This record gives sequence, C-alpha cells and structure tokens, in this order.
Amino acid sequence: MNKTLLTGLLITALLLAAALFGSYFAPHGLDEQVKRQYIPSEQGVGRIISPPLAPGADYPFGTDKNGYDLMAKLLDGAKYTIFLSAGIALARVGIGGILGMLMGYYSKKTPKRVRTSSSWSVLNGIPVFLIAWFALTGITINTNLSPLYMSILLGIVLTAVGVPSVVSVVKDKTMVLRERQFILASHSLGAGHWKIMRSHLVPHLKESLMILLVQEAILVLSLFGQLALFNIFVGGTTMYFDPPEYHSRTNEWGGLIGQARTSLYSHQWILFIPLACYILLIVGFHLVANGLEKLFKKRYVKASHF
Amino acid sequence: MLKVAKTVIAIPGLLAFVLLVAVLPILLQLGENGSSIRLNWSGGFASIRDYFAGIGTGESFRFLSGRTERSFWEQIGSFFNVSLFYVAAGALIGTTIGILVGIYLGLSRAEWLKRVVEFIGALPDFVIILLLQFLVVYIASETGIVVFRVASLSTDHPAVMLPLISMIVLPANYMIRNVAQQMKMTLSEDYIGFAKARGLGKTYIVFFHALPNVLPFIKADLHKLLGIMMGNLFIVEYLFNMHGVTKLLYADAFAYEGYQYDVVVNGLLSLLAVYAIVFIVLKLFLRGWEKVFVR
Repeated sequence: MNKTLLTGLLITALLLAAALFGSYFAPHGLDEQVKRQYIPSEQGVGRIISPPLAPGADYPFGTDKNGYDLMAKLLDGAKYTIFLSAGIALARVGIGGILGMLMGYYSKKTPKRVRTSSSWSVLNGIPVFLIAWFALTGITINTNLSPLYMSILLGIVLTAVGVPSVVSVVKDKTMVLRERQFILASHSLGAGHWKIMRSHLVPHLKESLMILLVQEAILVLSLFGQLALFNIFVGGTTMYFDPPEYHSRTNEWGGLIGQARTSLYSHQWILFIPLACYILLIVGFHLVANGLEKLFKKRYVKASHF
Repeated sequence: MLKVAKTVIAIPGLLAFVLLVAVLPILLQLGENGSSIRLNWSGGFASIRDYFAGIGTGESFRFLSGRTERSFWEQIGSFFNVSLFYVAAGALIGTTIGILVGIYLGLSRAEWLKRVVEFIGALPDFVIILLLQFLVVYIASETGIVVFRVASLSTDHPAVMLPLISMIVLPANYMIRNVAQQMKMTLSEDYIGFAKARGLGKTYIVFFHALPNVLPFIKADLHKLLGIMMGNLFIVEYLFNMHGVTKLLYADAFAYEGYQYDVVVNGLLSLLAVYAIVFIVLKLFLRGWEKVFVR
C-alpha cells in the first residue's frame, strides 16, 4: 500500500472539499465585521472588543485587522488557489508536453548524457516571477476588470513563463525514448510518425507527465506567493492610499500571506494561519508527487551496489 | 572559435531580451477608468529610444530614489558588492554542503532524512525565510535573546547571518537532492560492482569511482542552480530589507514619478553580471573538486 500517495490524496481532497463546500458550513460570512465595542460587566470592569481578535471559540482562526473572519476569507480564497494552480499546471504541461514531444521526436540531434549550456543560459539570471511581475504590475493594481478575468490573465502570463522549462524536460525525455529499440522495431514494421507518437511515446511519457503536473502546481503556488510579496495578488489588487495598503480582491491564499506580511511581530495569526493552510496544500501536492514517483519507480529502477 | 562567435552573437540577444522585459510595465496598461487593457506600444518604443539616447548624455544613468536624484554609477558599487557576496557565498557554501551531504544521502538508507530534505525542497523560498524570521522572533520573545537580526533597520546594523543562512539553504538543498539521486544511479552501474569485486574500499570507490561520474551532472545543472539562487536573492533582499542590486528593481523602479525604465534596464544588466561572475567562480570551484578526485 502506497501510504505517501494516499496521504497526499487525502489532504488534497480535504482542501478541495473545503474550497467547494466550506462556505456553507463556515461560522461567519465574508461580510460580517467585528466592530470595536465596549461590553460593561456587573463588577463595573468592562471588556473592550477590538479587532484583530485572536483565534478563539467564536472565531477559530481569528479575524484580520478590519474585523473580518479569517476562516471565511480562507474558504473564499481556496477556490482560486487550488483551481487556478491546477489549471495553470495543466495548461503548462499540456502545451509544453505536446511541443516538447514534437521537438524531441523531430530533433536532428542525438541525446547527450550530460546537457551542454550556451551563453543564452545567462538568462536564468532573470527570475521567472520578475517577468510575471513586470507583465502584471501595470494592470493589476486598482483595476475595474472582474476578478475572474484578472485571474485568467494571470494564468496566461504564468503559463507563458512556465512552458519553456516543461518543453525542455519533455524534449530530453522524448529524445532518449526515441533511441529505444521498440521505436526502431515499430518504425521498420511500417508505423508512421503519428502512430509511433500515439502508441509508444505518449504511453511512456504519461507517468513522467503526471508527476510533472503536480510539481508544476507546486511551482505555480510558490509563484502566487512570490508575486503576492510584491503586491501582485491573484484576481487583482486594491490599493488604498495614505497610508498605502494593499488588499487582495479574491482572498487567494498567497495574497492573504502577502498582505499580512507586516504581522510578523504582533497579531501573528493573521500571517501564520494562511501560511499554514498554504503549506498544507503544498504538502498535499508534494506527497501526491512523491507517491506517484514511488509507484512508478518500482518498475524501472536498478538496485544500488552499496 | 565557433564558441566565441556564438557568445558574441548572444550578447545583443541578451540585451534585447533585457530591454523587452523592462518594457513590459509600460506596454501593458489599464485603459480609461481601469476597465480595459491597452497596449502602449508608442510609450514602450519611446522608452527604449530614450534609453539609447540617454547613454551618450548620461541621462540613462541618473535615477530617482524616492524623491532624491542619484547617479547609478555612484550607487551600484555597494549594491553590486552586497548581491555578489550573498550569491557567491551561498553558491560556494551551499555547493560544498550539498555535495558532501548528497554523497552521504546517496549511500545511507535513512529514508526519513531524504523525505525531510525533499520536503524542504518543495517549500517556496519565501516560506522558509518567513519561518526562519518567525523562529528568531519566537526565541526572542520566549528567552529575550535575539539570536540574529531579523531585518536591516539601518545600514550600520545590517542583518547578515539570517540572509546568509537563507541564501545557503536553497542551493544546498537542491545540490543534496541532485547529488544523492545521481550518486544512487551511479552506484547501480556495473563498474562499481566490478570495483567492489576487486576488493577496493568503500570510501575509495565512492570518491574516486563514483564521484567523478557524478560531477559532470552537477556541472551541467549549474545554470538551473544559479537560476534558483537569483530568484531567491530577490526574496532575501526584499524580506530582509537589504541594499543589493535587486533593490533597484523592486524599490527604485517605481519611484516618486512612476516607473523608471532606465534603472530597471541597468539593474537587470547588473543582475546578469552578478550571475555571470558567480557562474564562472562556481565552475572553477567544481573544477577544483575534479582536480582532486578525477584521475
């Protein structure tokens, strides 16, 4: 029994259920706001309720600085976090996989054991999130476009910056596969290019692509977080002036982390509860990827001599 | 000769790419009242033209930091040193730790340790940094001892250790996973079995038979490693409030009068220079490893 895969799937399923149905069971709605109030008691010593409220019986995850329930926010944002990261990963692997397979199959070069690099590799020095940030910075802040539209736009940008690395991975794998004997046999039996790709390459690549899909989802999640640090939130950023404050329009988890970054020293739950949820999701995906890897590895790997 | 020619051709290409990346914030803009997106081609071309025109007059090397005008050449020296120090130190220390621990992990059967390493590798860099900062704050609030400074409050009291640790963790982790995996694959080769049958010692086989065959893979992966590190550098310098090259890009790029194209182009080029220098240093460093272990 593959415990790793099972645990991963369980965590992912749990978070998925929370994203889909959580808002029906949440104790507080998105619009409920805790106002500052003074509750007098019989001894004459009153109590002041003033947001942010720490996690307690009434608010399991506490509230943010404006008195909104953090749990309601997390449940609302979960949809964007989970579905958008999965969607972008799917688009990356779908487009990159097809392109990589075609390029690997029709490439004139023979596969090398060790990759060689060119001067173009210096471009690695420009981080991916920087390109995404620059592309989005002019249009994300105080936009009137709908959050869904902005999320799709962000999805397109993140897909575009992620496809090249998927292409190169799949291309390398295809080039190795292409040299295998069964491809040669199939070719000499008269199979066309299309037939070879469909019934030999795709089945062999399927497993690596599945693992790649989950790993890409994790990479997309970390990009959400990195962009959020620089105030680019999924679905758009609302910026208030004097003092400058940035708010996520969709409550996407990366955005919740990004906008709460100043809570490192006090009211720490505002930062660490979203962070914990975010890490939990990554753990779920990570375990799924590892479980899949374990599942497929059993078939191929040779044993170590030590 | 061919290689030199290729490099020479690549340089204008790189420059063009940098110019294009930097033009993105001008190109993609919100239209009237923010409900449509328009492509501002004319503004984009104008900035590129102004940049080239400004090289001669020196205008491209002056920028606003907040509301004060500064000269790029006066500022870049210290910024460059800070970034170079952290990337180089992180790369060298991280690689050394990575290779040594990676060899150990490739040999050992401690599965839980591998799982921990893989898990840390899956976490985004900023999560690791936030957790490190939180740990320091937590220790300070519990015991009153501030182990490391959490962020640089002024230039006289910079945070040094925590950024350095953050810069080392990532490459070390990446290296460990990579070396362990390649080591494991190499150790399943037949020549290792043959060496073992000849009665050679385990240490000797690992370092003189297996490691030389692992190092080429490490060298081939250097670009990826450094790419990860440059992304990490941004997050580290931003979260620890350090004055490195990336400050030009995340702080000075959007100064009082709006987006500054010139400073972004110069910043990106300096970033690529840091990358190139550390890449060469790291390659020489690995060549040193090869000199010792490859016969």
